[in-house]
Amino acid sequence: MRFMMLMIPAGYETAAPGTVPDDVERFAAMMEYNKALLEAGVLITCDGLHPPSMGARVSFPSGGPVVTDGPFAEAKEVLGGYWMIDVASREAAIEWASKCPASADEVIEIRQVQEINDFPADVQALTDGYDVMQTTAQRLG
Amino acid sequence: MRFMVIVKASADTEAGVMPSTEMLTAMGKFNEEMASAGVIQAGEGLHPTSKGARIKFAGGDPVVTDGPFAVTNDLVAGFWLIEVASKDEAIAWMKRAPFDGGAEIEIRQVFSAEDFGEALTPELREQEDRLRRQSASL
Repeated sequence: MRFMMLMIPAGYETAAPGTVPDDVERFAAMMEYNKALLEAGVLITCDGLHPPSMGARVSFPSGGPVVTDGPFAEAKEVLGGYWMIDVASREAAIEWASKCPASADEVIEIRQVQEINDFPADVQALTDGYDVMQTTAQRLG
Repeated sequence: MRFMVIVKASADTEAGVMPSTEMLTAMGKFNEEMASAGVIQAGEGLHPTSKGARIKFAGGDPVVTDGPFAVTNDLVAGFWLIEVASKDEAIAWMKRAPFDGGAEIEIRQVFSAEDFGEALTPELREQEDRLRRQSASL
């Protein structure tokens, strides 16, 4: 089963553009964790994200898409990064997330990734014509 | 440059409401366009937070809380990973996404090894490169 582990670092919503990890020890600990996930054969992929102050939002009201540049004043939680893992169960995903060398102001949210088979038959039939979804699923799965 | 495009959750996504046939068809076409342009690296939907959990690291043992979680503007329903030449190009692509109504997406640049600066020592850089090569490439 595929799960996303979403890293939510408190305070990242106000991080300035160009903010990079500056704690070498913590960074190394995180790299060790990534290595452990890889060696256990559960890591699919992981990435860190630049802060929202360097991002943008697009909303889709009836008049057409509206673009807003970051930062976003009302954001209370933002993603700092993610892992995608492939494990046997939700409990296994929680166990892995609990081993993350996260700090006291960080939260990890575990979310199960939707597979084609999770959808009703008529929805699955709709995706049959689209190679990209099959290929992506194959590549990732 | 790589970007994560985060699709925000809504009351509908959290309730497991399926998008309409029209929406799914339009989204399928949009994904195919991005694939043909060599832009899309991944696109996934996430099950509602009712199936999820959160782990807090308070300094002692990690504390696990089961979902669901409050539908704020910060919950994630799905995402794409795209590779484009610039943030402007990412925005240009995403303005074409066939969303309607109250949908909102957030475009976030992904860290590349070069971005990390001094924290990524040569040794860690080598480890990071190995990680990239050995983990499933998208």
